[in-house]
Amino acid sequence: MAGLNDEAQWIVMMGFVVSFSFFFLAMVLNQSTVVGQTTAEGVLEFPKNDIRDVRSVIIQSVPLSDQAVLQTDIETIALSRKGAVVNYTQPTLTDEHWHISIHYNNGVTAYNETWTSS
Amino acid sequence: MVNDDGQLYTIEGVAAGMIMLFTVYIVLGATSVYTPGDTHISDMQLEQVGTDALRMMNTQVNGSAGTSPLQDIINNSGVSGFNGPEFNTTFLNYVNNKTGSETDNLHYNATVTYYDIFNTTTGSLPLASNRNLTGGEHPVRVTEWVIVDKKFPGTNVMQNRAVLVEVLLWRD
Amino acid sequence: MTDDGNLSIDFLAGFTIFMVAFIYVATLIPGLFIGLQSRTIDYDAVAYRTGVILVEDPGMPYNPSWETLNDYNKGDILRFGLALTKDTPNILSIAKINRFFCSTAFVYPDDYHSRAVFGDYPYQFNISFQMAGDNYTRSIGDVLPEGYGYSRRVVKIKETSNATIGPGTGSWHSDYEQQVNASVHLFSVYFNYTKLSGDGPDLNNPAYQINPLNPLGEGVVINFTDLDKTTNYLNDSSIYPGLPTNITLTQISMYRSVSLAPLHTVHSPFAGPILDPHDASQYNLYVDGSSIRTTTLPVNITGNMSLFIPPGLLSNVGNDDSSTWLKVTMQFNLTDGQGNPREDWFLNSTQSQPYGAFEYNYNPANVTQPTLQDGVVEVAVW
Repeated sequence: MAGLNDEAQWIVMMGFVVSFSFFFLAMVLNQSTVVGQTTAEGVLEFPKNDIRDVRSVIIQSVPLSDQAVLQTDIETIALSRKGAVVNYTQPTLTDEHWHISIHYNNGVTAYNETWTSS
Repeated sequence: MVNDDGQLYTIEGVAAGMIMLFTVYIVLGATSVYTPGDTHISDMQLEQVGTDALRMMNTQVNGSAGTSPLQDIINNSGVSGFNGPEFNTTFLNYVNNKTGSETDNLHYNATVTYYDIFNTTTGSLPLASNRNLTGGEHPVRVTEWVIVDKKFPGTNVMQNRAVLVEVLLWRD
Repeated sequence: MTDDGNLSIDFLAGFTIFMVAFIYVATLIPGLFIGLQSRTIDYDAVAYRTGVILVEDPGMPYNPSWETLNDYNKGDILRFGLALTKDTPNILSIAKINRFFCSTAFVYPDDYHSRAVFGDYPYQFNISFQMAGDNYTRSIGDVLPEGYGYSRRVVKIKETSNATIGPGTGSWHSDYEQQVNASVHLFSVYFNYTKLSGDGPDLNNPAYQINPLNPLGEGVVINFTDLDKTTNYLNDSSIYPGLPTNITLTQISMYRSVSLAPLHTVHSPFAGPILDPHDASQYNLYVDGSSIRTTTLPVNITGNMSLFIPPGLLSNVGNDDSSTWLKVTMQFNLTDGQGNPREDWFLNSTQSQPYGAFEYNYNPANVTQPTLQDGVVEVAVW
């Protein structure tokens, strides 16, 4: 390699520098657009409204009759239409308060609560 | 006068140029242009408005009402079927209402899902819609649980049942 | 002459090819920025977050609530929130809405940015609110530009409860029309704090509660209509033609009873008046449809009267004691128009059963319950 002329190496070097900086810039810019997408997908994925809704319907069912039918309704429809396993214990009365133990799991998020009436 | 001593410069120049052009070609092909639809932000906004509207419909108007407007619509005064026109007016009112004088223009298709005790499956009945689904829309699904005292297919007694109101909501 | 500064042609050729390629590549760089629209990246997410903070959260500090802090202490407010309580998302309190949109207390953008929008970047924003039935929109912030991040929430707002008393209304009892001639008549309104704060509808849901102990509640409104028709006016017009009975509201007194220690099973007798009975400035008293408050008593009344008792007053008088029973007694003097007392029939609750007063409670026949009114909140960020 001693006889090779390396005087013009700097031209190719400049070429490489430009290419790498271009590549880096593009990577940074590309990642920034993904931020908005993951925020929205994170919001859509977390079942905040589903959990609130199921919890509210279970609590509403406390003073009603036909508890067993309501329980089958809620658990079956939640599994087949919402893709979530919901199960809860029938309301029990201790110390003048009603207690229900609620479990919710949609495969990604799990929620457990022991609700007592005030 | 003319010899091949400086060929190196030309070759290096050509090589550098080709490297840069090749990189640019790859990079521009790799970065994606995100349309607003790709980011699912409009889906998130639609879903928020839809769940809000259904939840407000399922809230009693005052403490002495006993039932919410949505329960009354599904119950339909004990008659079989549902009060579709009432659902249509109320839901569209909630969902299209904005501050200022303009209103939005959303479309929906609503069904009620119940549990069929006799066949041990879930069944679904149509509730209301203001546009038929053609398949080209990009809807979001919003749901609301409702408890009603009504007779559903699969049983012949009136009892308290929990049903799921499902609404597909989209923007033109 | 030497050829030290000469550039060989090959060098020039190579360098030119490099420069041309470089310039072409440089012009392609703006194409990378096509996907970079601020609106789709961050603003919608911030608008969504602000919408959730305002509509689903009651704000911080929660107890005492942030809207009761005065302007001097606004630095103690950590976060705005319009919801009634943590358990009632999307149901807003009118007191919090009024305080939030008070432009004399809070300055755009700094006060709102650090308490509702958050983030290091100095966003510009606009938060608007409109109630169904109103034709005006309340908003704070700048005018909307072409592109912005957006979030819209559907809400309900809890309104005041009210009672209307007068002949011909649903809460009228024959007990209230004292068909006995007297020149001084008393009408009392009775608040049983234990029942009001504990026996609310729907498992004591704060959205439907009339809670007098809550300083940030909605207050109570008592309307009196057709008071002149509660006198024996047909008889008067034949005995005193052209001289109908004059009605003067002379006092509004508050009497309080609490349960007695140590067993708290017996109540003390009603004691009072607690506040100055001739000072009507602590209420909002509007007489005969006037839009100006009456602040001192006595005052002449032709037919109608509207008394608003602010929530702060009810909770102050209750002094955090849920066993409080409160009677607000109004004294009416009847005269003949020249200052001489005249004995006549009038609105009078002293003979009514069982309390000798009109009970302000959850009975919809007595009191129009607090209703939830529809509304929309929109947040735009750019």
